[in-house]
Amino acid sequence: MSRLISPLVLALIGLFLFGDGAYIHAKAWLAQLLLERAFDRSIATGQPVKPWAWADTWPVARIEVTRLGASAIVLDGASGQALAFGPGHLHQTVDAGERGIAVYAAHRDTHFRFLRNVAIGDEIDVTRADGKHFRYRADSSAVVRFDASGIDPASQGFELVLATCWPFDAVTSGPERYVLHATLIGTGEQRFAIEP
Amino acid sequence: MSNDDAVDSNQHPWLGRLIVVGVFLLAQGVAMLLVAFIALLVSFEPGWSATIEQASLLQPGEAKSGSLLLKDDGATTEAIRLGTDVDITVSSPTLRARVTQVFRNPTKDWVEATYVYPLASNGAVDTLKMVVGDRVIVGDIKERHQARIIYEQARRDGQKAALTEQERPNIFTNSVANIGPGETVLVQIEYQEPVHQSGNEYSLRVPLVVAPRYNPAPIVQSVEFRNDGSGWGAANSNPVPDRDRIAPPVRDPAKNAPVNPTSITVRLKAGFALGEVKSQHHTIKTESPESTTRIVTLADGAVPADRDFELTWKPAAEKAPSVGLFREHVGDADYLLAFVTPPSAEQATQKPLPREVVFVIDNSGSMGGTSIVQAKASLLYALGRLQPNDRFNVIRFDDTMDVLFPASVPADPAHLGEALGFVNGLQARGGTEMVPAMRAALTDKLGDTNMVRQVVFLTDGAIGNEQQLFETITAMRGRSRVFMVGIGSAPNTYLMTRAAELGRGAFTHIGAVEQVEERMRGLFAKLENPAVTGLSAKFSEAKADITPAIIPDVYRDEPLVLAAKLDKLAGSLEIKGRVGDRPWSVTLPLQNAAEGKGLSKLWARRKIGDAEVARTLREMTPEESDKVILALALDHQIVTRLTSLVAVDKTPSRPEGEPLKLSELPINLPAGWDFAKVFGERPQQAPAQLRERHADARSQPAARRPTPAAPDAIRLPKTATSAELKMIAGLVLIVLALILFVFNRRQTLLTDAA
Repeated sequence: MSRLISPLVLALIGLFLFGDGAYIHAKAWLAQLLLERAFDRSIATGQPVKPWAWADTWPVARIEVTRLGASAIVLDGASGQALAFGPGHLHQTVDAGERGIAVYAAHRDTHFRFLRNVAIGDEIDVTRADGKHFRYRADSSAVVRFDASGIDPASQGFELVLATCWPFDAVTSGPERYVLHATLIGTGEQRFAIEP
Repeated sequence: MSNDDAVDSNQHPWLGRLIVVGVFLLAQGVAMLLVAFIALLVSFEPGWSATIEQASLLQPGEAKSGSLLLKDDGATTEAIRLGTDVDITVSSPTLRARVTQVFRNPTKDWVEATYVYPLASNGAVDTLKMVVGDRVIVGDIKERHQARIIYEQARRDGQKAALTEQERPNIFTNSVANIGPGETVLVQIEYQEPVHQSGNEYSLRVPLVVAPRYNPAPIVQSVEFRNDGSGWGAANSNPVPDRDRIAPPVRDPAKNAPVNPTSITVRLKAGFALGEVKSQHHTIKTESPESTTRIVTLADGAVPADRDFELTWKPAAEKAPSVGLFREHVGDADYLLAFVTPPSAEQATQKPLPREVVFVIDNSGSMGGTSIVQAKASLLYALGRLQPNDRFNVIRFDDTMDVLFPASVPADPAHLGEALGFVNGLQARGGTEMVPAMRAALTDKLGDTNMVRQVVFLTDGAIGNEQQLFETITAMRGRSRVFMVGIGSAPNTYLMTRAAELGRGAFTHIGAVEQVEERMRGLFAKLENPAVTGLSAKFSEAKADITPAIIPDVYRDEPLVLAAKLDKLAGSLEIKGRVGDRPWSVTLPLQNAAEGKGLSKLWARRKIGDAEVARTLREMTPEESDKVILALALDHQIVTRLTSLVAVDKTPSRPEGEPLKLSELPINLPAGWDFAKVFGERPQQAPAQLRERHADARSQPAARRPTPAAPDAIRLPKTATSAELKMIAGLVLIVLALILFVFNRRQTLLTDAA
C-alpha cells in the first residue's frame, strides 16, 4: 500500500498545479465577461462601475483589433491584481485619445496573446469609458527591457502603446517586453458605423 | 459574487449559467490556491504571483537606498546656510549691482565655505567686502595665484578671509574661511555692467544659478614631452581641466526644499520717461516715485535661486532714443560710452537675399522638462518663417548627432513636413557634445555664394568646454553667421554672447514658452534684414583707444555700443557704415555727453573680452593676451581669469588646534530642469551618491516635479503569468505519477508472481 502513496501524492500535486495554472486562465476569461458588463454599464451611466463588489479597479477602456476579432477590457492601473483580470492602463500615462502616450499592458498568455498577431498597419480601436472612440494604427514594434522602454510620457503626439512580455512562447518571465506602438488616426463619439 | 450579480442573472439566463460555472471555477480556484502554496515548494518558479515583484517596483518610497545618503547630505548641506541679496542701481546706460551673500554657520564646528555662483558675463567685478560683526574688510585685487596664497595663509592662521575667483566670465566662486560656530559672515561683491538694448526695449539679466554643465570626457589626448629631451612625456588633454571647480553639488528638487533664498531690489533710473517695466520670470512689485524712476522688488520677498531674473523696460515715448553718449573722468583719462541705433526703416523695401539656414537643436538631458518644449516651439516657429526660395537643414544633437538631410534642401512643403516630424519626435536625453554639431552646421556643402548662410543654434549652453566650441566657430565659420538662441531658466549667457560674437551673428534668450514668438520674431527680423556693415568710428581731435577695435556688423534694432578711452574730451565722434548698399554716417559732438558711472570699468572689461577673443582667433599669442589682460585687470581692479579679489581679517579668530571643516554649498537645479535626465545619464561624471539619488527620484510621485513627470522611460509591468509553467509542471508530475504507479504495479505483480 505504501508504494501507492508516493505516486498518489505526486499525482495530487500535479493535479493541483495544473489546476492552478488553469485557474489563472479561467479567472482571466471570467473576469473579462464581468468586465464587459461593467464597462457597458459605465458607458451608459458615465460613472466608473466596479465589475464586482470587492474589486479595487474598474474598466476604463475597450481595445479591439477587428482584423483578429480580438477584444479586451482595460482596467485602471497595472497592479498585479488588476493584470490578472485584464489589461491595465499604466497610471503614469495619459488616457487614450489625449495628447501623450497611453500605455496598456497585459499578460502575454492571456489578454494580450493576440498581440503577436497584430501586424504593422492594423487598426486598433479604443473605446473609452465615457463612450468616446479612438482609432489607432499600429506603426512600429520593438523589444525592450522593462526598465528602458524608451516610452516618453511627455511625448507631444497622440500615441498608444500596448506592452506585454517577450518572448511570447517563453515559459518563465524575463526582463524583456514587447512594445507595440500606434498613432491616432481617427476619433468619434460613437463606434465607427462601418467596420472595414 | 454579490447580490448584484444574482439580480442580473435573473435577467439574463445565459449569464446566470456562466456565473454558476464561474462560481464553480472560483471555488475550485480557492481550493487550488491553498494547495498551490504547497505546490510552490515543488515548483521551481520563484514567485507564483509574478506581479508582486512588479508592484514593488511601482510603489514610491520602497527604495530605501537613499536614506543613508540623505543623512550624509544633511551633514554637509545643513552645515552652512546661505542667503543672497541683490541690489541693483540702473543709471541710464549702466548698472551697478551689489550682491551680498550671507554665510551662516549653525553648527558647532569651524567651517570653510565655498559657493559657486553666476554673474552677468559682461559685468566687471571690482569690489569685495567682508563683514564680520561690525568690522568691514575691503578686498584687494591680486594675481590669481598670489590671492590664493594669501587666502590659504590666512585660512591656516585662523584668520577670517574671503576670496572671489573667476571660473568663467559668468561663473565665480566665493570662498570664506574660518566661520566660527554660530557666526554669520557677510560677503559682498559689486559689479558694473552695461544695460542691454534691443530695439525699443532695454533689459538687465541677473543669473542666479549655475546650471549643471556637461563636461565631455577627454577622448583625444595630446602628449606633453618633458623639457629634458629624454623623450618621455605625459598625455594630457582634458577639454574641461577645471571641471571640479564649476560643478558644485546640486540638490534634487524632488527630494529637497529649495535652498539659497534670494531677494532682489532694482532702482531703475532710466533717464527717460518710462513705459512698461516687466519681469519675465518673477512676480514683482513696482513703485514709481517719478516718471523716469522705478523701484522694483520681488513680490514674494525672497525666492529660491533657481532661475535668471530678467527685467525689461520700455520708454513711454513711441521710440527709444537712437543715440546715447556718456562720459566719465578717471585718473588722467576720459572714458566714453556711445550707443547708436542705425536706421532700419528703409530696409523693408529691399528684397532679402535667399538664405541657407541650418538649424541646430540641443536635445541633451539638460534640456529635459520645459526647455525642450521651448526649443521645439522655437524651431517650429523658425521653420514656419522660411521662404520658398530658402534652403534649410536640421541637426539635432546630444552625445550623438543626426543631420536630417545630407545637404540643405529647398524649403518646400514636403521637406518642411519631414522636418516638422523630425522635430516633433525629439526627446531630451544624453550628454551635450556640442562641438561636433557646430562643426556639422558650419560645414558649407552648397558653397552657393548667392545665398546668405546662417546657423541658428538652440541650446541652454550647459557645457564646460566653451573654449573648444569657440575655437570650432573661429576655425570653421567661413562665410556662415551664427545666431544663438539661449533656452531655459538659466542659460549660459557667456557661451551665447561669445559664440554669436565670434560667429558674427546675434543672440536671443527664451526663458518661457510664452516668449517664443516674440523673441523669435525679433531674431528673425535680424536674420532677414541685412545688417549695417563696414562700420568704422573716428574721433576728430582726441586720441582714442576704442573697443571693439574692429566694429562688428550691427543687426536690425541692435545698437552699436562703443567704449573708448580718450586723452581729452574734445571734438566729435564720427561713425560711418553702410545700410544695405547706401552709405550712412552720424556725428556726435563730445561736449554733449552726459555724466556716467563706472564707464572706465566697462571699457576695461570690453578690452579684456577683446583680448580673450583675439587669443581664440589666434591673433594674439596666449602670453600676449595674458599680459594685456593682467595689466588691465590690475589697473582697473577687475576680477578676471588671471586676477582675484581677496580680503583678510587681520585679527585671528579660530583658536589654534580647532579643526576646520570644508563645506561646499549646494545649489538648486535650475527651474524646469529634470534632475534624472541630467544626473541619471552622466555616470562617468556624476558622483555615486547623485546616481543613487537619481534612482530614488524615479520612484517619486510625478506630481512633485515642476514638469509633467518625465522619467526617461516608463517602467513596464511584469506581464507573464505562471499559468503555462504551472500547467506544464502539473502535467509532468501527473505523468510521473502515472509512470511510478505503473512501475510499482508491475513490481507488485512480479513479486506476487514470484
